[in-house]
Amino acid sequence: MASAIDIRQLTKVYDGKVNALDGVDLTVKAASIFALLGPNGSGKTTLMRILTTQIHPTMGLARAFRYDVDKDDDKVRKIIGYVPQEMSVWTDITGFENLLIYAKIYGVSSLQRKKAIWDALQNMGLEDVANGPVKKYSGGMIRRLEIACALLIKPKILFLDEPTLGLDPSARKAVWENLRSFKKEYGTTVFFNTHYMDEADLYSDEVAIINQGKIVKTGTASELKRSLHGEIISFCLANNGTDSMHPSTAPLRQDLNILTKIRALNFVNDATVHDSVMDVAVENGEIAMPLIIDVLRSEGISLQWIRSTRPTLDDVFLKYAGMRHMQDQSGYHYGI
Amino acid sequence: MAFNDSLREMFAMIELEMRRLKHDRTEIYTRAVQPILWLAVYGTVMSHVRDIPTNGIPYIDYITPGVLLQSTIFVSVFYGLTIVWERETGILKRLLVAPASRYATVIGRAIASGVRAVVQALIIFPVAILLGVKFIANPIYILAAFIMLFMVSGGFAALSIFVASLMKTRERFMGIGQAMIMPLFFASNALYPITLMPPFLQSIAVLNPLTYAVDAVRGLMISGDVANVPVDFMAVIAFDVVIFIVASISFRKIIE
Ligand SMILES: Nc1ncnc2c1ncn2[C@@H]1O[C@H](COP(=O)(O)OP(=O)(O)OP(=O)(O)O)[C@@H](O)[C@H]1O
Ligand SMILES: [Mg+2]
Repeated sequence: MASAIDIRQLTKVYDGKVNALDGVDLTVKAASIFALLGPNGSGKTTLMRILTTQIHPTMGLARAFRYDVDKDDDKVRKIIGYVPQEMSVWTDITGFENLLIYAKIYGVSSLQRKKAIWDALQNMGLEDVANGPVKKYSGGMIRRLEIACALLIKPKILFLDEPTLGLDPSARKAVWENLRSFKKEYGTTVFFNTHYMDEADLYSDEVAIINQGKIVKTGTASELKRSLHGEIISFCLANNGTDSMHPSTAPLRQDLNILTKIRALNFVNDATVHDSVMDVAVENGEIAMPLIIDVLRSEGISLQWIRSTRPTLDDVFLKYAGMRHMQDQSGYHYGI
Repeated sequence: MAFNDSLREMFAMIELEMRRLKHDRTEIYTRAVQPILWLAVYGTVMSHVRDIPTNGIPYIDYITPGVLLQSTIFVSVFYGLTIVWERETGILKRLLVAPASRYATVIGRAIASGVRAVVQALIIFPVAILLGVKFIANPIYILAAFIMLFMVSGGFAALSIFVASLMKTRERFMGIGQAMIMPLFFASNALYPITLMPPFLQSIAVLNPLTYAVDAVRGLMISGDVANVPVDFMAVIAFDVVIFIVASISFRKIIE
């Protein structure tokens, strides 16, 4: 598939000292939704500002549909829409007027202007409030108006810098549903920055994780999740009545014995026991589960419950963005 | 191509300003209060002091052009505040991603501010007539006076945008604006002839674009003495050209 954005060894140093981007390589497929995920200060906005021709890279190259964003900035500007991280509409006029001014700036011909504006309003579900002053809009309505302004020219690439920052879950959902239907209709490439994992997970075709100006991981959300470990299966071992009154060494030895057997199984990466819950890390739970149950049965152990946990994008993010290794929360000691 | 884009952006900026004005009409009336007080109170009181050589023109008539210009230039000098606000929000980033050159944004904004100034003056004008100020009844002269008002206000708005691109915070900008506005007014011929000033103030007044604007508007609207008007226009045009260029160049810096 053709690429919409190509980035090679892009570097940005602010004021000769802040290394905001440190050799970024990225490719974004045309007509896909691409999420750039990273913690505060990781360089997301900097990258987007270079791609949208606002600032010059220190080194490296970035293209949007063959146009160099640094040298052919005039051409790039005509094919992109952009919503900055901060609020970006005039609040002392109406929503419709905001769109009208942008339509004029972009030279939407007077014949098509009305239709283009109402299309954009409709795409973002704002028809009813279009003629009200933006001052009275809610945060979610303002965000949708900003996106509507960017959709006006039916851009080939839409850049959104944290499009749902500060919105409640239902407003976020509304924004994304509108965006997806627009994307479907016009085949727009959507490039967005976020630090909401679930957003990247739910709405993007591909994710790149950026940390300290470097891309540390790319792939689809499910690829990234699989790259951590398959899943964790937790077994709550039923008390067999032999060791309930006085903790003796026999059950412990038995536990260790079982662990060794389970660890020896194919498809099993690791196993631990904690307070009569055994966590087994496996690549593929469907295949491994019957084998493990067989071993437990043969040892005469019955089970109270079984639970399987798959890694979330949070785990991926925390691992690659290198903040802390969240083994505890990722399911190893799950249950009690 | 690029030129068309820029022209469009300029017109869009003017339209934006007009629409804002339409939504907040009270602002334009409240801003008219102060100049009207200058005329009604200060002008009336000072007209009893006969020592100011006004060539036989009543003092209130004499200061009308200066007060008119001061009130519109005041708005222009603080126009940069809008730019500072648009920078703090994402509006400027977004405008700079649109296909138009940066000078179009600056000049469009400056022209828009000039148009706003004309509207402002149109409100004060009839009040001055009610206060007994006698204007020259020559529509061409009056029109020329308004063109001058438009040009000088636009120039000061560009100056303000230039200051905004250097002083990126509201507080610093306000500081500079406040520091600029009073000397601008007093070191000009708005309230008294330059000849009454101490020499160092005179040399400032000669460099002050407001002096030329006041001179032209006074000649065209009040005294009918238009001998200096061409020179006045040249001076203000030169000011506009220089400040438009400087402001356009420095505008890039504003979002970095
Ligand atoms: N204009 C600037 N001048 C100097 N340094 C800057 C500038 N803009 C950003 N930086 C620095 O560059 C680094 C990356 O910032 P950037 O805004 O790109 O991060 P981000 O990923 O968008 O963060 P956030 O999630 O908080 O929006 C940070 O260290 C920041 O302080
Ligand atoms: Mg950011």
